[in-house]
Amino acid sequence: MDPMLSTAALASAEKIINTALAYDPASRIALAELSPQVLAVHISSPDVKIFVMPSVDGIELHSHYEGDITTQLEGTLPALLSLIKSERLNLKDSGVQLFGSTSFLAELQKILKNLDIDWEEMLSQVFGDVIGHQGAELIRSKMSWTKDRVSNIQRLTSEFLTEELRVLPSAPELNFFNAQVDELKLGADRVTARIEQILARIERQNAQQQAAQQE
Amino acid sequence: MSNERAPMSEQKTTHFGFEQVAVEKKAERVAGVFHSVAAKYDVMNDLMSAGIHRLWKRFTIEASGVRAGHKVLDIAGGTGDLSYQFAKLVGKDGQVILADINSSMLNVGRDRLIDRGVAGNIQFAQTDAQYLPFPDNTFDCITIAFGLRNVTDKDLALRSMLRVLKPGGRLLVLEFSKPQHTALEKVYDTYSFKLLPLIGKLVTNDADSYRYLAESIRMHPDQETLKDMMKSAGFVNTEFTNMTGGNVALHKGFKS
Repeated sequence: MDPMLSTAALASAEKIINTALAYDPASRIALAELSPQVLAVHISSPDVKIFVMPSVDGIELHSHYEGDITTQLEGTLPALLSLIKSERLNLKDSGVQLFGSTSFLAELQKILKNLDIDWEEMLSQVFGDVIGHQGAELIRSKMSWTKDRVSNIQRLTSEFLTEELRVLPSAPELNFFNAQVDELKLGADRVTARIEQILARIERQNAQQQAAQQE
Repeated sequence: MSNERAPMSEQKTTHFGFEQVAVEKKAERVAGVFHSVAAKYDVMNDLMSAGIHRLWKRFTIEASGVRAGHKVLDIAGGTGDLSYQFAKLVGKDGQVILADINSSMLNVGRDRLIDRGVAGNIQFAQTDAQYLPFPDNTFDCITIAFGLRNVTDKDLALRSMLRVLKPGGRLLVLEFSKPQHTALEKVYDTYSFKLLPLIGKLVTNDADSYRYLAESIRMHPDQETLKDMMKSAGFVNTEFTNMTGGNVALHKGFKS
């Protein structure tokens, strides 16, 4: 693959991110304070490595870096994306492996979580104050609407699959089933322990009998 | 094609585009071209490459491995695109030298960098790549972007660069090269010899200089030849990366 494709993709992403960050000075200052630390993101499938470097201009994205790496994340693209969206700091069962400093990653996650881009200022720069304000209001209301819709769609899909099609169990059914499995497992554990106890007792009795016969 | 010199009667000649000129005249003719285009060099670069020259340079910066505290020599640095990025990377403990043989290009580069607030870790030197005026083993990295094809004696320049590199230091040569597909080469030829001089005439009122730029690209050694020249000069682990179908290549070599 021509290296210009990945270079162009990263340059475009960097430009977009830094343009947005220009309208969130607090995040930009917080990022600048993290310089010169480096986050390496290794996507396992397809095999791509991206180096993220916070700087005074926002962030720099590179496809090649030879210096020291502060933190490295390794995983599939969906696993890494879900990590960005989630607020969790624990990577257990996330499908993502971490090498190096966790505090740098926590700082980056915190900045991402507190990201507050001033859309109104951004639009006002281009279209003027009146249209900028209306545009920003529109974006805010659309974002709120989209969030509601996504939440509704998730709920309705879940209900359709469980109640109408009956292809998936409902949450209470699943919980009841889980509780039964747990109870069964505990019961099986108890039986196993009981059997082991009985076998140990028989062994002890046999040993005592053999000792008595020898006397 | 070591040094493209061929005997012509008693006088040693070299190429200036497709024209043969006396060796001692080439630098003067090249200087004329760059004095003419210096003021609008950046605009023309953007027009000629549709802005892709920024990506070629970005890739070069990444491949340089330059870090805080390094000393970098940017030969034929012209308007300072690479030096600007290097100055940020080396930090206050490092040093960047923007070198160019052409005073007009160097002036434009110096003004641009000062206007962008780059100072303290950058110096400017009007110098010939063939006779670099620096002590042996000085630099961690040397770059020459779109400059080597204008140098009269490329072998001499490569040896000079090797001398001033530190052991383990690297040379990066970013230069136009040979397209890897025949169809692409034909399109590129048409563009270079028909459209490029026309754009040059419209923007800088100087079609001849841009005709020279197109011709000099054709006369420049192809990827494998330049790699061999670097090996012959004493560089090790030499390799090249083709970009945009081989129109441009980045050659890399290290000093052992």
